[in-house]
Amino acid sequence: MLTYDQYLTPRSLAEAFEAIGRFGAAARVVAGATDVLPWAREGRAGDVHYAAVIDVSRIPELCGVELRGERVRLGANTTIAAFLANPVLVEHAPVLKHCAVWFADDQIREQATLAGNLVNASPAADATPAMLAMNSVLTLYSSANGQVRTRSVPLDEFVLGPGQTRLQPGELVGSIECDSMAGYGAAFEKVGHRRSLVISTVCVAALVRLDFAQRDFDDVRIAVAAVGPVPTRLTECEAFLQGKPVQPDVIRGAAELAADRVQSRTRREYRREVLVNFVERSITDALAELGISVSSASATKEVQHA
Amino acid sequence: MPDIEIRLTVNGRKFARRCAPHLRLLDFVREELHLTGNKEGCGAGECGTCSMFVNGVLHKSCLLPVAKAQDAEIVTVEGLAREDELTILQRAFHKAGASQCGYCIPGMVMAATATLRRNPHADLEEIKEGLGGNICRCTGYQKIFAAVELARDVMNGALPATALEEETYRGSYIGASVRRLDAPSKVSGALRYAADMTMPNMLHMQVLRSPMPHARIAALDVSEAATMAGVETVLTCNDVPGVDNYGVFIDDQPVMARGVVRYVGEGIAAVVAENPLIARAALAKIKVRFEELPAVFDAEEAMQPGAPQLHDAYPGNVCKHTKIRKGDVERGFAESDLIVEETYETQAIEHAYLEPEAGLAYLDADGTVTVQAPDQNITHHRHMLARILNRPINTVRLIMSPVGGGFGGKEDMLYQGMLALAAIKTRRPVRYVFTREESFIASAKRHPFRIRYRMGLRKDGRILATSMYMIADGGAYAMSGPGVMNKAAILGAGPYAIPNVRMDAICVYTNNTPAGAMRSFGAFQSEFSTEAHLDLCAEKLGMDPIELRRVNAMRDGAITHTQAQLGSVSLLRTIEAAAQAARWAPGEPHRQTRGEQRPDLGGNDTRKPCTLGARLARITTPANTVGSASERKAVQT
Repeated sequence: MLTYDQYLTPRSLAEAFEAIGRFGAAARVVAGATDVLPWAREGRAGDVHYAAVIDVSRIPELCGVELRGERVRLGANTTIAAFLANPVLVEHAPVLKHCAVWFADDQIREQATLAGNLVNASPAADATPAMLAMNSVLTLYSSANGQVRTRSVPLDEFVLGPGQTRLQPGELVGSIECDSMAGYGAAFEKVGHRRSLVISTVCVAALVRLDFAQRDFDDVRIAVAAVGPVPTRLTECEAFLQGKPVQPDVIRGAAELAADRVQSRTRREYRREVLVNFVERSITDALAELGISVSSASATKEVQHA
Repeated sequence: MPDIEIRLTVNGRKFARRCAPHLRLLDFVREELHLTGNKEGCGAGECGTCSMFVNGVLHKSCLLPVAKAQDAEIVTVEGLAREDELTILQRAFHKAGASQCGYCIPGMVMAATATLRRNPHADLEEIKEGLGGNICRCTGYQKIFAAVELARDVMNGALPATALEEETYRGSYIGASVRRLDAPSKVSGALRYAADMTMPNMLHMQVLRSPMPHARIAALDVSEAATMAGVETVLTCNDVPGVDNYGVFIDDQPVMARGVVRYVGEGIAAVVAENPLIARAALAKIKVRFEELPAVFDAEEAMQPGAPQLHDAYPGNVCKHTKIRKGDVERGFAESDLIVEETYETQAIEHAYLEPEAGLAYLDADGTVTVQAPDQNITHHRHMLARILNRPINTVRLIMSPVGGGFGGKEDMLYQGMLALAAIKTRRPVRYVFTREESFIASAKRHPFRIRYRMGLRKDGRILATSMYMIADGGAYAMSGPGVMNKAAILGAGPYAIPNVRMDAICVYTNNTPAGAMRSFGAFQSEFSTEAHLDLCAEKLGMDPIELRRVNAMRDGAITHTQAQLGSVSLLRTIEAAAQAARWAPGEPHRQTRGEQRPDLGGNDTRKPCTLGARLARITTPANTVGSASERKAVQT
């Protein structure tokens, strides 16, 4: 059971850092708060008490989505629901809408935030691979002598291990910036014990851009989660496809490179098979979004539930 | 801790209340405003029975600190319709028989409302996704989906409003859709389950549970907890006035651990306090010194000489051995052309009813103690309680509160004794509501079985002998175990005419969570192995598995291996109907074909693979317009 003496809802960064400074480790920062309540229960953290919970969801600097040239800025408080509803994200971060439909359920998506998903640093975080595939960089805020300071950390350096990130005590995630991926076909594949509200056993995010003149892959981004301690990009698959023609055997060849990425201690063989098929299917599905159909027997094969 | 002031609009009414800062929206609505329509099923955002609208958007109110919803407009299930009315969706749930236990239904109605508000033309896939965050354990969801589709069609005018009315009686209820009498109270949230009940001056109970699978309680000191401000009393086994030993078939269970704990989760002491928070704080002040005892977690190991012993009265840990013998099994095997042997295992299963255990106990003016709880066997519980409490049975009353899902899991008595003792000792009403986790660790499970199967058959498929040796892990207490063994032995061989049968069902004490009653009560485990074994035999005989069952099926007038004469036996008709529905191709060795080659896959009545993204199609994706049609064609492969 989670208890606390105060629930603070700062309306500015200054207010937030004042509260963080005042309570230090006795306070817990939340945004959506969807993970902290289930965490403070029997079998996980048990009964937890904080002097204060600091809710950063109403700080304007941490909100909003905007296009900045070739990059997109997502405020830390961007909800998962915005992945489906925000027109900028639908156009410039097309993989996010696919990620969103697999993320928890409709109701939790309205409350859970992107920064929360990244900061939790779950090996099976669904948004992390999607953001990795778009070369995301986090802007972190901190306060020193009354001044707000910022620093940038690329997402692939930010997550260190299960539950571990480069976020320092007293630091807040301000925003996440990623490449504009307009014109890319996108896909997100996920399997778990059920369809909604499930932790991924394997999930894959893919973005594909084609060179239509050359009829080959121009830029492919693939990232995976739940198969190792930290979500990662499949750089070897991406490099393999670069400049190659859009053909089923080429896609299959790239997919097979992914098998050895499985580091999980449990259900390794299952995950290896699923991961390879997911990489293949995600590329195929991303191509389908570009209007390209690639026929391949295994690409359409349904993955059995774990 | 200092209170905070919460200002909210709930169902159109403004509220300003001072409350503890850590309350969740769910607690605030249920405990402060006494709007108990929305339930708590898990407290972890998994089940959705707490779903409420917050500023028009559906949220799981167990994941929402109430302070986060400050100034918001809340709509609970009570706020969907005006007094004495039901919304079209609620009426459709009533018509379609969508509510069974009803505990998930308030959340389901809310999620369905949200889904149809977002898209009044949502198709079945979108409805399924919209309800994806809400769990139902009774219905299998089909009637719920049917209800939402019915409501959608009525709202859109595709069906007339009369479609919501009850079907007219046409001379028979068989095959007719009959509305449930209690459905309106379930779809509106009006029905009160045990956790929804309150009484003036009510106290709250929390239970200290064992962290050890097997240990002697060398010392138990509740003095500090008992003297905390706000704590009314702390109960231990010393407070039990009567015979502290109860059970369904075997009296082996104390109300609270008496000197020994036998499984992780066993109740040791109960704190009764002004509120659950104080009670929980007091639990932490109870001092227990355990002397760990060797524990056993496998039923067969528990039967071995030298294994840890759980109950003195049952050396060897066998609490029940049901034997049934018919004919001469060894001769049957000797005459067989083929003998097939295999070992089958089933796992423990949690019932996971949406309603965690809960109860309210109070004393009447004449001293009668009443326990209201979702008990599936109140008469038996009442008899046991009278003995435990050492009272004449006419001063012990049990009232069955609506059962928010039971599946047998609320048959085996668990906490009712503590509640009755608490009410008697404090002379105040006492309520106890389990958390989901507590329900998981403390309540009985389905018995895991290990079944050694041996079957002798002739080449033509006739079964000449069956031997089933079944060992069940009964956990720390017998509970319904002996009955489960009987059912397994009586029904396990299946509806087949077999001349020689040997059945052994053995229930064994271990230090696992006790096993008890669960749907089909032992027949599930044993018949699973029988049907799996028949498939295996068919494969070895090179015979169609349906044909093998036909050859051996009991016919009208058959005599079972327990000498019961059956009147009409519908097995053959059932097999025919199932084979037809499955488009079973006779003679096809299906078990050798897997995946896409299976001829019975696909088609109208088969279940499609899980997909998501019904709404994605409606989102315009600029990427779809990249490349001209001819370019697209050029790279198609």
